[in-house]
Order: sequence, then C-alpha cells, then structure tokens
Amino acid sequence: MGKVRRFEVTAAGDFASVLSVLTDHLNLRVLSLDEVERTWLDTPSGHLNASGSTLEFRRLPSDAAPTLTWSKVGGVVVHDPCVSTTPPVTAAALPASAAFARLADLVGDAVFVPGPTVNSQIAVLASLDDEEKTTARVVLDRSESIDGVALPMVLELLPLRGYESECSALEKSLKRSVALAAMEKTTKELAEESFDKTESEESLSPSLVPTMSAASAWRMVFRDLSDSMTQSFSGVLSGLDPEDLHAFRVAVRRLRTILQDGADVVDSESRDRFRLDYHWLGDITTPTRDADVHLVEFPVLASTLPEEHRHQLDSFTELLRQHRADCHQQMVAELRSIRRAEFGTAWMAFLEDDDVWTDCGELSDQPVMPIILSRIERARRQLVKDGRKITKKSPPISLHELRKEGKRLRYLLECFAPLFDQDALHEILAPLKDLQDILGEFQDAEVQATALLALASELELTDDRSVLPTMVGVIEQLRARGADARAAFAKSFGGFDDRKVKRAFDRLEPRKKSGKNSSRKKK
Amino acid sequence: MKILATYNIKGGVGKTATAVNLAHVAAAQGNRVLVWDLDPQGAATFYFRVKPKVKGGGRAIVRGSIELGDAIKATDFDNLDLVPADFSYRHLDLWLDDAKKPLVRLRRALRQVADEYDYVFLDCPPSISLTSESVFRAADALLVPTIPTTLSLRTYEQLDRFVEENPDMVRELKVLGFFSMVDRHKRLQRRFMNELRTAHPEILDATIPNSTDIERMGIHREPIGSYGKGSRAARSYDTLWNEIQARL
Repeated sequence: MGKVRRFEVTAAGDFASVLSVLTDHLNLRVLSLDEVERTWLDTPSGHLNASGSTLEFRRLPSDAAPTLTWSKVGGVVVHDPCVSTTPPVTAAALPASAAFARLADLVGDAVFVPGPTVNSQIAVLASLDDEEKTTARVVLDRSESIDGVALPMVLELLPLRGYESECSALEKSLKRSVALAAMEKTTKELAEESFDKTESEESLSPSLVPTMSAASAWRMVFRDLSDSMTQSFSGVLSGLDPEDLHAFRVAVRRLRTILQDGADVVDSESRDRFRLDYHWLGDITTPTRDADVHLVEFPVLASTLPEEHRHQLDSFTELLRQHRADCHQQMVAELRSIRRAEFGTAWMAFLEDDDVWTDCGELSDQPVMPIILSRIERARRQLVKDGRKITKKSPPISLHELRKEGKRLRYLLECFAPLFDQDALHEILAPLKDLQDILGEFQDAEVQATALLALASELELTDDRSVLPTMVGVIEQLRARGADARAAFAKSFGGFDDRKVKRAFDRLEPRKKSGKNSSRKKK
Repeated sequence: MKILATYNIKGGVGKTATAVNLAHVAAAQGNRVLVWDLDPQGAATFYFRVKPKVKGGGRAIVRGSIELGDAIKATDFDNLDLVPADFSYRHLDLWLDDAKKPLVRLRRALRQVADEYDYVFLDCPPSISLTSESVFRAADALLVPTIPTTLSLRTYEQLDRFVEENPDMVRELKVLGFFSMVDRHKRLQRRFMNELRTAHPEILDATIPNSTDIERMGIHREPIGSYGKGSRAARSYDTLWNEIQARL
C-alpha cells in the first residue's frame, strides 16, 4: 500500500454531485455508500495514535449492529460487527476475532476513551481495469460534528500495491474533474480541530476594506458568493425547500453582476468564460424557480375565489406539482452534469490561483473604493435615465429591463456593503427595494399569467375542462395585480429618483473620523 | 510468517480453491496474507482478476535479480496480496535446475517479505518435480486436498511416502491432508474417507463439500467468502482454517 493521497474537495457542490462526477465522469464503481455516526476511540495515553492506527465505532441509522473498524495507514485491518450498541470501554469488549486479539495485545489493560464524534456520508469507490479488478480506491467523506459544524469534504485516494501508475493516472483525472486542494489532515484530525475552534478564530476571517486592491476585493466577494452557493446547493438538489433554490439563484445573479462590473479588475478571459457559465447556471434553474413560485402563489390566488370554485382547481394544482417535479428532475440532471462539474472545478481553480489575480487588469492593483464607487454611479445613472423614460405606454419589456438594472445596482451595493457608510447605504437601499418590489410584482404577475395560461392549455387537451373557467378567473386576478403594480411605478420610482437619495450616494464613502468630528469636539 | 502450500500430485482436486478461499478467510480475520500463484495456468490469479504477468518475469524472481515485493499486486480484499502467475512458470523446473541451490530459491525469495505477511499461501502446480521439492523446502505445511476416490487416495499415499523417504528435504514440513469435493450422498466416498482416516489419523476433520457455490468462483472471480458468505461451502473453509491454525 502506497501513501494515501488526501485532498479537500473545494468545488462548489454537495456530496451527491461530487459523487456523481466520480461515478459518471470517471467511471468509478461505488463499493459502499453509508450514512453513519462515527466515534474515534483511543486510550488516554494515545496507544493507537502512536502506532499509526485508528479505532472507529460506527453506528448506522438503521437497526443494523454497530461496527468497529481498526485501520492502519491506508487500509482496514479488520472491520467487525460490535456485540454492544455502545463503544467498547476495554479490550475485553472488543469483537472476538484474531485481529482484535492483536489490538487487545497492543492496548493491554488500558481503557478506551471516546474522541470526537461526527455524522458522515461516506462513499468508497473503486477504479477498475479491463478485468474489473480494483486498481485504486477513492473514499469520499462528508462529515459534520454532532454540533452541526460542517467539516471540509475529504477525498482520499488509496493506492493499491502494484498499481501505482494506475493510481497516478487516476489522480490526474480526479484533479481535472473535481476541484481539489492537497491536505494532510484526516477527518478525525479535522473533527478534533473543529471542537477546539474558538469564536475569536472565526472573527479573524478577512473582510473588505477600502484600501485593499480592487482585484483582492472582487476575489473576496466572489469567494463569499461561492460559499453561499455551496451552502444552498444540497438543498437545491433535494428540492425540499424552495428557499434554497431562491438563495442559490440570488448568489448566481450576484456573481454575474460582479463579473459584469469587473472589467479591468478581473482577468478578461476568465471573466468572459465565467459570465457565460453563470448565465447558463442561472438559466437551468429558472424553470424550477418559476414552478416553485406558481406552487406557492397559486393557492393564495385560489383562496380569493368563491369557495364553491376552489375545489375545481385541484387537478390544476396536481398538474403544477407534476410540472414542478419534472422541472426539478431536469435541473438536478443539469446540476450533476459533466459541464457543471467542469465549470465548478474551473471556477474554484480560478479563485485559488494567485497568478490569475496578479496584474490581471488595468485597475486591478488600484484601491477598490474609487473603482466600486464609479461603477455604482454608472449603474445609478443608467437606472435613473431609463426609469425616467418609462411612461404608461412603455412595453412590459422596458420595465423588465429596468428591473434588471435595479438589481445590478442593488447587488453592487450589497456585495461591497462593508466598504460603505452604513447610514447612507440604508437610505439608498430602502427606496431601491421599494422600486424593486413594484417592478418584481409587475413582472411576476406577467410571467405567472403567461405560464398559467400555457399550463391551462395542457388541461384543455385533457378530459378535465371543468376547471378552465375558474383558471381564467385566477389569470385575470394576476393581470389585475400587474396593472396595480404598474400604476404604482411612478410613485415608487420617484421615491428613488430623489435628491435625498442622490446625496446618500455621495456619502457612500465613509468620512475619515480624525477630521471634522475631532475639530467639532474642540469647539 | 507461516508458509502454507496447497499441493497435490494430482490435478483438479481443489488446490487453487483452497489457497484462494483460505487466504481470504485468514485476511478477513486481520492477518496479512500473500498468495503466490506458482501454477502457470494462473487460476488463482484469474480468481483475483489480476493480469497473469510478473513484472520483470518470473525467472528474475527465481534468480533473485528482482525482489519478490516488486511483483506483488494487491487484491480487492483488505490484507490480501498476490504474486500473480506468469505463463513462463512452465519453465520453472528448468530455471531451478539451472540455478545454484535450487531447493532454497523459493524460500530465499519469500524471506524478503517475511516482515510484511503473517501467512503465505503457495498455490502449486500438480506433479512431483524440482518445483515441488523447492516448495517442500520453503513451506511450513502442505495443505493437501484429496478427493475421496481411488486415484486421489493413491496420490496421497505417494506423497506421504515421498515425504517419509526424504526427511532431509522436507525437514519440519507438516502434511495436512483433508478431504475435498466431498459428496456425502455417495456411499463409496464415505467408505474411502473412513479407510483413509483409519490409515492416516493426521488427516484433518474438516471437509470441503462438492458444491456449485465453489464452482461459481469462476463466474464471480472472487473467493466464496465474498459472494457466498454464510453458505455451507464458505463455512467449511472457515472450519478448515480454524483446524489448520490449531495444527500449525
């Protein structure tokens, strides 16, 4: 057995999506896939650690007997069912087998004390040759402490004796397909660290400051947004809570905005590539998000109808559910596709590669503050200019475009928020959010009415046409909501296109405290 | 490190199945186990799905120009490694004949990995030859699967006589015979077994049944303990291994 090669999976994605890359893209075969609670045991004086081995008590969520696994570097010595449902306290409580008898000899009379406990998803996979013989093993381990602290996802590559070249080839393929960063620590060590981590350590995480270079600030914002995407990704795949997809899409849209406004700061080639990729990522999640909105909104709309008509909408609600399930299934397939995996890997590599962020644009080394302020001002002017052009006769597309411009401005303000004077920022965001709400209400009503009309036409093709008149009532309500929103636009836009708000933009850069404030005190 | 050779002058008696399945049982108990497939037919190698080729050639191991460790391949099972067969092993007798001190060649090669393994199983080709004599010198015990038929019993007697007549060659070698491919429904087999046990009380109590579960090893290409855990045939190897350990 050669040396175990251990990596942190840095790609944005959940356990299932990384696993699907390993199986679908790299053709690895799953040997086992478990969700387990693991507790590491050792003697108080660390006999096992000193001998380079670990003892792991595993409890499955099912009624299956717990197991005890004694491992040495890179391989399992023995793995047996445990007699007791609790971890053994002494060697006498070890399973009766020749191997555990050796372990008993090793620890003597010492007692076992439990170390950290984690809940893990663990997949063991095999790379096979043309004889279907295993040439290397891969262990994918996603663990969190019992307090719910997520540990880095760990991928271990276990070479098999006599198959070193095959293992090296697999390592290269893995690095091409999954964003990996070499790491020394085992999951056990990570779990131990997690327990020791103090809040003060967490507060040391860097944040945006006005004097930092534009490239550093953009990179930091990208990292934060990537983290947000990662956090919601498993929820997006499970599809249980629509808020996860919403949060994911917001992060994607923000990334697109920051990329769009990253000219001369971000490497132009990367910027072009990832703008396309994130555009695609946004697009593939749109049908499911729309379906989520229909499912949430439709009962609300239906509740306003006369009670005797409501039950007629049951078949349509079922159609919406089915449509949503179809959309979600399609989206999950796309999110687990090779394209998504390669894009995710390239994105993480882009964020981690210091070279890509050195002299990457004309303005990359300049302080971030004047650059972000000028981009915000440009976005503000564009929004004001186009908003003033909107009349009662403007087509819906003009309001839709205005909404996108509003989002762009809002995202620039929010993503770089720590740089700004917080009072001024609040004075801008409040009317901007009002405007966004009105534009959103208008557009949602338009989109929903169109989509419901399309879905209703599906029902028309079936035998169940009794619901159609009621559906028309719902769609009319949506149209009315859209009209109300449109009528409220002028007032809402006026609230934003206001001198007070303009002055707040001028105050976004925080004043230096040592200046006027101190002189005022002296007076 | 204990070296156990599955051996019989006669072919088709279950030598390879014995080596593969006992090695798997021993490894599953946490022992570090190596199987060396010395049979050019490479059946043990086939069962473990390993390609039948020795890096550097089988002859280089015998000559000592490459280390045995360099030829070792991990199997799909924890603690269980294999030195694969190589078709050139058909010349093993000739290579040994050319070498100085041929009888110690295998033992010398195995000494290189003595610290790495608890048990080594040598899966030997049938016949009595220089190769088998070299195996006798290297091994601590011969595991001799014997089908309870006239011809098999005859070859067992031949082996027993050979060991008795060549004490210098075999030294401390233990001969552990056991009945293999046993069909308990056949009265004749039961009679042969009784007769041979009376003549050779050292024959082990454990028997391996004639079972399609064992024949399926060729389909699954893995030890029976992997695909047929808990089956009667698999349990028979557990029992056999326990008895062998007690005799070593």
